[in-house]
Amino acid sequence: MKRLRISEKMRELMTGYYMAGMQAECNAWITSGAPVELLHALDVYPVYPENHGALIGATKLGGYYCEFAEKNGFSRDLCSYARCDIGCVFAGTSPIGGLPKPTFLFACNNICNTVVKWYEVLSRIFKVPLFVLDMPFIRKELKDCHLRYVEEQLYDFISFAERVTDRKLDDAKLRDVVLKSMESVELYSECLRTAANKPSPMTCFDAFVNMAPIVCLRGTDHAVSFYKEMKQELDERVKEGVSAIEREEIRLLWDNIPVWYRLKWFGEFFEKRNACLVADTYTNAWSGFKVSRGEDVLSGMAEVYTVSYLNIGMEMTAEIINKLIDLYDVDGVVMHSNRSCKPYSFGQYEIQKKLSVPSVIIEADMVDERVFSEAQVVTRLEAFLEML
Amino acid sequence: MKVGYLCTFTPKELIHSAGFLPYRVFATDRPINLASAYIQSYSCSQARGSLECALQDDFHAFVFTRCCDTLMRLTDIFEFAGKRVCNIEFPTKIGNVEYYVQELRDFIEVLREWGGEVNFERLMESLKLYRKLEEKLKQLFALSPDYETAIKVQQIEVRDAIKLVDEKIRTAKKEKEKPKVLITGSVCPYPKVYEIFREAGFSVKDDLCTGSRFFEYSYPDFEPVDLDSALKFIAEKYMNKSPCPTKHYEKDKRFEYVLKLAEDCDAVVFLLVKFCDPHFFDYPQLRARLEGMGKKVALIELEFPVVSFEQIRTRVEALREVI
Repeated sequence: MKRLRISEKMRELMTGYYMAGMQAECNAWITSGAPVELLHALDVYPVYPENHGALIGATKLGGYYCEFAEKNGFSRDLCSYARCDIGCVFAGTSPIGGLPKPTFLFACNNICNTVVKWYEVLSRIFKVPLFVLDMPFIRKELKDCHLRYVEEQLYDFISFAERVTDRKLDDAKLRDVVLKSMESVELYSECLRTAANKPSPMTCFDAFVNMAPIVCLRGTDHAVSFYKEMKQELDERVKEGVSAIEREEIRLLWDNIPVWYRLKWFGEFFEKRNACLVADTYTNAWSGFKVSRGEDVLSGMAEVYTVSYLNIGMEMTAEIINKLIDLYDVDGVVMHSNRSCKPYSFGQYEIQKKLSVPSVIIEADMVDERVFSEAQVVTRLEAFLEML
Repeated sequence: MKVGYLCTFTPKELIHSAGFLPYRVFATDRPINLASAYIQSYSCSQARGSLECALQDDFHAFVFTRCCDTLMRLTDIFEFAGKRVCNIEFPTKIGNVEYYVQELRDFIEVLREWGGEVNFERLMESLKLYRKLEEKLKQLFALSPDYETAIKVQQIEVRDAIKLVDEKIRTAKKEKEKPKVLITGSVCPYPKVYEIFREAGFSVKDDLCTGSRFFEYSYPDFEPVDLDSALKFIAEKYMNKSPCPTKHYEKDKRFEYVLKLAEDCDAVVFLLVKFCDPHFFDYPQLRARLEGMGKKVALIELEFPVVSFEQIRTRVEALREVI
């Protein structure tokens, strides 16, 4: 696989991000689907335990840190991002020396209800206030009452955060952050869309590795300049007809959170069989966080964050996947049935039947390498690729 | 016509007043076969067992509330399996009554599409009947908790349920003083499990939604005057029901509730269904608080259908011995 130059920059950028966290006067632990723009506008440093979990997974230490949580009574059946994060708190460290102690916690259940429970646990450990932004699940249609409900809570959150931090939210600053957020999301989406070219200049593994800035730094200049540069590199590749893998014969789409501790293994497995995983549903989920340019920032925010990818019904999910199948012109879908993510995984059996191309399901876990069964995964994937 | 539901936050009064039988769906003694084609094995057996039941039995429709990630997806899975479904978005964060009233208004429309008509008079009648049932169950449980009855009444017409509980109250005898155990968890639709506790020499108290969480409410103190205020009554009634780990409360109300329940108990048993995330997240910290109060605590993990009651018995007897 041809690595993207930008990945090196990503490492530097994220190292800087984590270092800044250690010095921040005030920080909030936040879930990946929450409207982080509000924190940036208040100069509250956002800490992402999910990103931290992914990082630990990628260093293959997921099982090690999960055990700290398990020894303290947390079941092995719980989400491994949560176990890993709570485990690091008990261990008092992590591969990056642990996360800074939170000033407050901000959980939004538009990705799962697990985060509510996880953050309740954190709130009791750290004895800091927790704000839960409750998003109704949009199974069929987004109703006015849903939007009103969410919007009211955004106002509540602002009062809450102003009270806890003793700061005042500046409207102009919020607008500026939202504009930057929109710009970075747009650039990020453009990067992902370059994979529609044949051959594809990137794989979903490139997308996974380089997603941290859109999650953690959305709304800042850093994310904007990072994705500008990434786009440039990808455009160059497209212009020169550079393929991300040696020989692209089969094009595939990945569904669900990556298997972080096996990124390289999967990459090589597919490349050896001339198959390129050109895109995925996970990183594409962030391309939806485009707050509209309308007058009212908060109502725009309420809307985009309520209809996030994991907070919608399966009919809509299948539709989105079919659109990605068309956009990236893939021959098949690899679905990761992820023991750690029930809302992402339950329903995959039904979604499979609605897809316009063949698909295969493999069982694994995003962070906990102890449950990975290589032989089973290989058998399934080989049979699938042969069939394609 | 049966309208199935899984969660005690479902407004059964509305379903009943529309002329349907609100029928709580549980895992049964049937092994889980068909459901495995629809949902992964790492979903809880209450979800898989209920789906099995839905696939094999005759229901008019199903109502879901978003209580956990599994239930959230289960609505769609039921629909894909050809069932008529509706999801009511009961808030996770307890508080906003106005929002939930609108959800209930929309639910009335769904009931209408299903062939049921709700009006104020009939809704008031259903509200009265269920309150009567809940109060009678409280009375029965104060004498002697009867889980077989508590489970049965969730699957029959409320008027018959009241008669059944009345009969049970007549014959129930006040339990003798024995070491008391608090059983906390989600559902356990197998009355035999509770008998095991009694046979081991415990008197039983519970925090389960096949037990007291089905009938413990604090009712709003106003009398509804029209349909809208009746919906407000329902919204407040359910938001103020015995707290559940699937909801987020101010001031850790859920923990405080369990700790209070445990005050007069000698032991606490977490009777948890494998893969039940909300309960398993609470378990370690709640356990520590309970142990801090000097309670003996045990965890028993269940999968439905329960195949080995004897294993449970061994655990319960061991707990009884240390008291």
